[in-house]
Amino acid sequence: MTASGWSRQLPLYALLALVLLWTLVPIAWMVLSSFKSPDDILSTTPKVIFEPTLQHYQGLFIGSNSLVGYVKNSLLAAGISTIISVALACLAGYGLARSHFRGKQHLSFWIISTRMAPIAAVIVPLYLIFRNLDLLDSVIGLIIAYLTFNLPFAIWLMNAFFADLPPSLEEAALVDGATRFQAFWRVALPLVTPGIVTTAVLCLIFAWNDYAFARTFSGPESQTIPIAASQLITQTGIDWGKLTAIGTVVVLPMVVVGLAVRRWLVRGLTLGAVKGE
Amino acid sequence: MNAARTGKSRGLSRLLQVPSFGARMMLPALVLLAALSIFPFLFIVWMSFNEVSPIGGLSFEWVGLENWVNLFTDPDVRSSWVTSAIYFVATVGIEMILGIAVALLVHEIVWGKNLALSLFLMPMFIAPVMVGLLGRFMVDPTYGLYAWALNTTGIFTKNILGSGESALVAVILMDVWEWTPLITIIVLAGLSSMPEEVLEAARVDGANYWQRLRNIVMPLISGVVIVALLVRSMDAIRFFDIIFVTTNGGPADATKIIPIRLYETAFRFFELGYAAAIGLGMLAFSIVIANLFLRILKAQGLAR
Repeated sequence: MTASGWSRQLPLYALLALVLLWTLVPIAWMVLSSFKSPDDILSTTPKVIFEPTLQHYQGLFIGSNSLVGYVKNSLLAAGISTIISVALACLAGYGLARSHFRGKQHLSFWIISTRMAPIAAVIVPLYLIFRNLDLLDSVIGLIIAYLTFNLPFAIWLMNAFFADLPPSLEEAALVDGATRFQAFWRVALPLVTPGIVTTAVLCLIFAWNDYAFARTFSGPESQTIPIAASQLITQTGIDWGKLTAIGTVVVLPMVVVGLAVRRWLVRGLTLGAVKGE
Repeated sequence: MNAARTGKSRGLSRLLQVPSFGARMMLPALVLLAALSIFPFLFIVWMSFNEVSPIGGLSFEWVGLENWVNLFTDPDVRSSWVTSAIYFVATVGIEMILGIAVALLVHEIVWGKNLALSLFLMPMFIAPVMVGLLGRFMVDPTYGLYAWALNTTGIFTKNILGSGESALVAVILMDVWEWTPLITIIVLAGLSSMPEEVLEAARVDGANYWQRLRNIVMPLISGVVIVALLVRSMDAIRFFDIIFVTTNGGPADATKIIPIRLYETAFRFFELGYAAAIGLGMLAFSIVIANLFLRILKAQGLAR
């Protein structure tokens, strides 16, 4: 690069450093603190150099306060709601993309407004319904709660991905004697694999990260990891060492899978409205 | 290609569009979605006309419009709407400005763009509840890194979450920390799809960066910016986890946005009917935004 190019780029990198400092300091501090002994965490002057310990992580997986049950509930609730959402949405998204009928606009509106309903407003009727159906404190209840936002999201997004496919390939399959379902299954579906993966990853993140539903609906049998984290805040104080360790465990997998689909992230997060980079 | 598009192929494409096949494909999802949305919706509407108490067996008592009258006359709820409006405008406003600024910055740099972007996106994937807890850790008056930094530099020496104004600023900044990246990647997608020739032509004509930004770049990405604004707005209304685990509305109601008020009404004071009315008020608001979103998609030819 030319000298003038660098003189123009340098201030930009200085700005970028500031931005990344703002972003990364809390994350770095969380990870760092999770390896500190309680004394080092409770030091009134922040310690950057310390003797690392794994005691908080050991506490998470071994012993009476083990997190294993919470992790299992989180995986089941988030995983199953994601699988149901994506499977049904592949069918519905394709059906929606390939059919034109009066009132389609209204159908779209219904789907999108279901996705956008405020969680606090959804919780109130669901709480009473679950109470009557004996679904409080059950993983099934959480799966149903997560479907309320993941299913409309997945239908909407899969519709956008299918609508991008030119129908000519499926038409060719039909000419070759395939049924319409075969044209969907063998031709269209494999072509939207990135869309399916993106939709699944986002559904998984939304469900895995939920706090409000789990806090309201779950009990001792069905609590998820975010609940475990919030339970460390007690009247007598906060166990920051354990909390930062749980935080690291909750956050890392989602950051990894989220970044893995970065190419299609924009598409997914704008519900299909903006094509990615 | 054009020849193939005539007669036969058009007939087949109509065959693909026969509603019965599409309807069969949509049926399972739509039946489930109806069960998950229409039934709870009718239920919450009915609840809003009742006094509903969950204590010692569920009890419903028809009270007509009482909850709705309360919704518009209760000074506590009104002050929560005001707090919500401040919180909403501040978070979404700052996120839009910062998000666009960072997108313009990342778009300009040549080396390390991908790495910088990946790092910058990280907060977006973190559970909002963890963002709240982590924020609490950072500003803890005794052990918090940020509290310590503000204290030793003398910028702010009180307990950050202990007084109304600083607590509100803190929860706003936690939300900004988490969601600015969302605006950035959406706007960045708009920036990278700009036609290079137009920008080059402006450069040749001697337009400086700010002139290009105002007259060419901004008009070109305005559609994407509006989508970013609407997507963020929808989620800003939906979530309340950060405040839930940091201040839970306090101190002295300084951060009591509407969803926190609703949750407290329902699950602390057990006035579920009233909470239902507040919830429907929120729902009305989110439906307006959903409507705008669809219109934008339609205007851009993206609604299908």
